[in-house]
Amino acid sequence: MTNDIAALVRDCLVEAGSTFREDKKAAYRRAIDKEEQAHAKWVLQTVLENAEAAEKNRSPLCDDTGIPHLVLELGPDCAISGRMLDDIREGVRQGLCQLPGRPMGIMGDDSHRIDQSGGLNPDSAGVESAPILLRRCEENVIRLHILMFGGGPAIRGKTYRIFHRHSTQVVLDEIVNWAQESVAQLGCSPCTLAIGVGRSHFEAAAMMLQAQVDGSYDHQSEMEAEITRRVNEARIGPLGLGGSTSVLATFMKVGPQRASGVRIVCLRPTCCFEPRIATVQLQ
Amino acid sequence: MIELQTPISEQAAAALQVGDTVEISGYILCGRDAVLPKLLQMIEEGSADQLGIDLRGQVIFHTAVSPAGVGPTSSNKLEIESSIEPLSRAGIKLHLGKGQLHRETIEALDRYNAVYAVIPPVTALLGSKTTEQRVLAFPELGMEALHLIKVERYPAIIGAAHGRSIYDK
Repeated sequence: MTNDIAALVRDCLVEAGSTFREDKKAAYRRAIDKEEQAHAKWVLQTVLENAEAAEKNRSPLCDDTGIPHLVLELGPDCAISGRMLDDIREGVRQGLCQLPGRPMGIMGDDSHRIDQSGGLNPDSAGVESAPILLRRCEENVIRLHILMFGGGPAIRGKTYRIFHRHSTQVVLDEIVNWAQESVAQLGCSPCTLAIGVGRSHFEAAAMMLQAQVDGSYDHQSEMEAEITRRVNEARIGPLGLGGSTSVLATFMKVGPQRASGVRIVCLRPTCCFEPRIATVQLQ
Repeated sequence: MIELQTPISEQAAAALQVGDTVEISGYILCGRDAVLPKLLQMIEEGSADQLGIDLRGQVIFHTAVSPAGVGPTSSNKLEIESSIEPLSRAGIKLHLGKGQLHRETIEALDRYNAVYAVIPPVTALLGSKTTEQRVLAFPELGMEALHLIKVERYPAIIGAAHGRSIYDK
């Protein structure tokens, strides 16, 4: 059982780092058909061609293979043990070796890790996962989602408060402003905007993560569609070269809210390959 | 589509225009934030000949080289963008990366008849077009060392040339 879990997690991580989901491929095809700017169309075609090559070879979509972020779902009668967490960690380690992940773990004490003076760990598996997010699911299963987070969207992302003034439109307007600025700086568009709205920075970031798990390119809410449309009107385009495809879709999750004039919003302008995500049932 | 073979001649560089799509073949240098200041220091100290290659006509690709492959990092990061003028002065003809550059960098490229090209971050495709790689200097930097790789038909778009930028609206 132990080895089974590690192997399942390993294969899931490799899939996350090398494969576009079907709804994403379809979104790219739709964007290629609609895009009229020649450079933009060429970039979109090249990114899709890259995804096909990566999937075929089970090799990285991008050389920034990302930091593993894990979402673990538990059904009503399921339990998770410390040993199972160890097996998941072992699977991540094996997956990073197999993909292979970029060896970008930073060594040393707290100060060394901040200023990067402790050197790079030469091992692909030297990259640790972010803390695991746990949530309930309806089916009686243990399910793991693995997302690989690259550095570019982390540089351009933002978690901050918005005074809503009792208007959803005020919050949406501010999100669009943030998104236009961050997408223009990203360099690796077209983006998928991942947005979480919560009562604290932690909750907003957790919502942003879950938005990527639950989001679909085939089904967009009214708010998601509005944000996508308005950011695309800025005509930043793929790689910032202009055109109508700056954003492929928006994945937004709104959590419980506080009786207050403030909403905490987390925006991650995920790059042309993200969300890099795969899912596996562990039990 | 314009085919560019390295080293790139003054004439070939001068003929490139913003928006041209190119395919680059031959040996190219790879370096980013960590190594470019060290390369500049070598040039300043007059010890760049220890690299064993002539910088004139070369391409520099703003990337790490790791087991995961290659792919452009943002060329407008401080240490990278600030290397563009002195490296162009030293003879580099094409800087390969991604992202919008500042106006003064675009003008500096023009002064030295050099260009900036944008390459999509398509690591899987670039892997199939990369046939050799070796560390040229600063091996202690690992994936961020100065590398020399041999490439076949790397796709790119000319993003800045002759004082113009593809990002100009």
